[in-house]
Amino acid sequence: MINQKIFATAAVAVLLLAGCGQPAPGGLDAGSKKGNAYEADTVSIDENRYGGSNSNSLANANSSSDGFQSIYFGFDQYTIPADMESYMAKNASVANSTSGSKIRIEGNCDEFGSDEYNYALGLKRAKAVKDALSMQGVPASRMVMVSYGESNPACSDATEACYAQNRRVDLRLAR
Amino acid sequence: MRFLLLLLLTLNLFAVDATLTIEKDVEQRTRIGLEDGSAFPNERLFHLLSSDLKISGHFLVDQTPHNGAFDSSMIAPVFKGQEYVLKYQMAQGAGTKLTVRLLQTANGHEVFKKSYAIASTAKMPFLVHKAVSDINDVLKYPSIAWINRYVVFSRYTSPRRSEIVLADYTFTYQKTIIRGGLNLFPVWADRNQKAFYYTSYRGLVPTLYKLNIYTGARTKVIASEGMMVCSDVSRDGNKLLLTMAPNGQPDIYELNLATGAKTRITTFNGIDVSGKYVDDESRIVFVSNRLGYANIFKKSIRGSAVSQVVYHGRNNNAVDAYGKKIVYTSRESSSAFGNNTFNLYLTAMDSTSTRPLTTTGSNQFPRFSSDGSVVQYIKHTPRGSSIGYINLQSKQSVLFPMNGRRIQSIDW
Repeated sequence: MINQKIFATAAVAVLLLAGCGQPAPGGLDAGSKKGNAYEADTVSIDENRYGGSNSNSLANANSSSDGFQSIYFGFDQYTIPADMESYMAKNASVANSTSGSKIRIEGNCDEFGSDEYNYALGLKRAKAVKDALSMQGVPASRMVMVSYGESNPACSDATEACYAQNRRVDLRLAR
Repeated sequence: MRFLLLLLLTLNLFAVDATLTIEKDVEQRTRIGLEDGSAFPNERLFHLLSSDLKISGHFLVDQTPHNGAFDSSMIAPVFKGQEYVLKYQMAQGAGTKLTVRLLQTANGHEVFKKSYAIASTAKMPFLVHKAVSDINDVLKYPSIAWINRYVVFSRYTSPRRSEIVLADYTFTYQKTIIRGGLNLFPVWADRNQKAFYYTSYRGLVPTLYKLNIYTGARTKVIASEGMMVCSDVSRDGNKLLLTMAPNGQPDIYELNLATGAKTRITTFNGIDVSGKYVDDESRIVFVSNRLGYANIFKKSIRGSAVSQVVYHGRNNNAVDAYGKKIVYTSRESSSAFGNNTFNLYLTAMDSTSTRPLTTTGSNQFPRFSSDGSVVQYIKHTPRGSSIGYINLQSKQSVLFPMNGRRIQSIDW
């Protein structure tokens, strides 16, 4: 019994000493202020405060506008399908009738594929449309391309018909 | 008891990826039990501690939560089969304070005791990660400091809208750091995670910015028509691998931030993206469709020869690298839109061996940890989405559920 008391007293003393050895709370690791970056506050910013062009306006964002027709592509393809050529002819006509404005050509993809690959695929589709318009007399200097990858779906159902609506290029006048 | 253990192990294996064999003898891992001594026991805290210990690969964790007196050095009989007991106590008020004690079950000897505190209650997970990281170090296991790092990711909020979020590795802590517009592809700019690069779609063409997460200082780096992505940052932070398309052609470039010099690394007429430094950063691996489908290739930054790295699968469209290790995504199903669509594989620069890391669900966005020991990924299944981690050495994995919104890109 005496031994137990001595052991208990010693254990309490050790614990108290150990407790005294701990640095006071206040930082993440109470003794060390180095390397714990998440102690500091991080910012939160709103990109809208930087202004910029209105090219990212959401009006008609997932379809063509200003008289242009969207061009649709096959899975993982960036060659303009034959059944889209009549639409391209109409787009060239609209482009040539609006000679004072820049044309924004926006490539889009379905949700399949990796982050970067999808954006590159969208760009290749936009480039195919730009090249086709150039061949029909639209000056390259009037056209600007951007890829939205899978970020701008026209349809969000999990069906092939829906995915097909997202593999497209939209055209509009840049404002 | 054996039946119960077998049942738990089986459930665990089915819960993650069936290929993950327990290669390391469980007896080689340290058996540890957890005891909550908080005034208000916290189940979330138990799961965080348990997950941290498990993914380290160094501990075999008793999955039953226990409560007990924090200051007592008595070892409860339920811990008889454990080598250590981790007693913990958390108090939350204006901030969060966590105190941990690591005791040997054999003799009640206190191996480690430490208090952690932080002003933000939301950042509680970081206290847990730091405590487990310290315990791991005290027992002289290889470092798991990666669990203390921030994860930065972008996620879509609506068509053409996204936000960039900071999180702990479990996604328990999350803070939106950029909102407004379409902001994509965040990548840490330095080892200390003081800043990251991201692509803003605010202007007429995609533009790369660098944001200091503590001061809010935002600086423009470079812009390109079509697309602009920072795919990788050199170890010293002075060079970037970019996918950009100044002439509408997506290729990989290296940008020297000190001199402003821009070197075009790939010149293929199709798609070249996702450049990642390998070896001593004189070479890259990247994704290209030069064989008619997305696959993984390598090349010297200075030279012109391109070599195929992966000879498996018909659509390997995402890659990450660490040293000579390569992890990539492969579409498994012949149907373009079927379930079980993407799996992860681990290979090496010399392609001497390749092994699957996942077999179920759709697994994407593979990223190595800062020490290359763990792979992070996003798993989608019909039951929902999770962020997952696979310890390449112990082959253990953990999944943390994610809510709702679709991830666009991720880095840690």
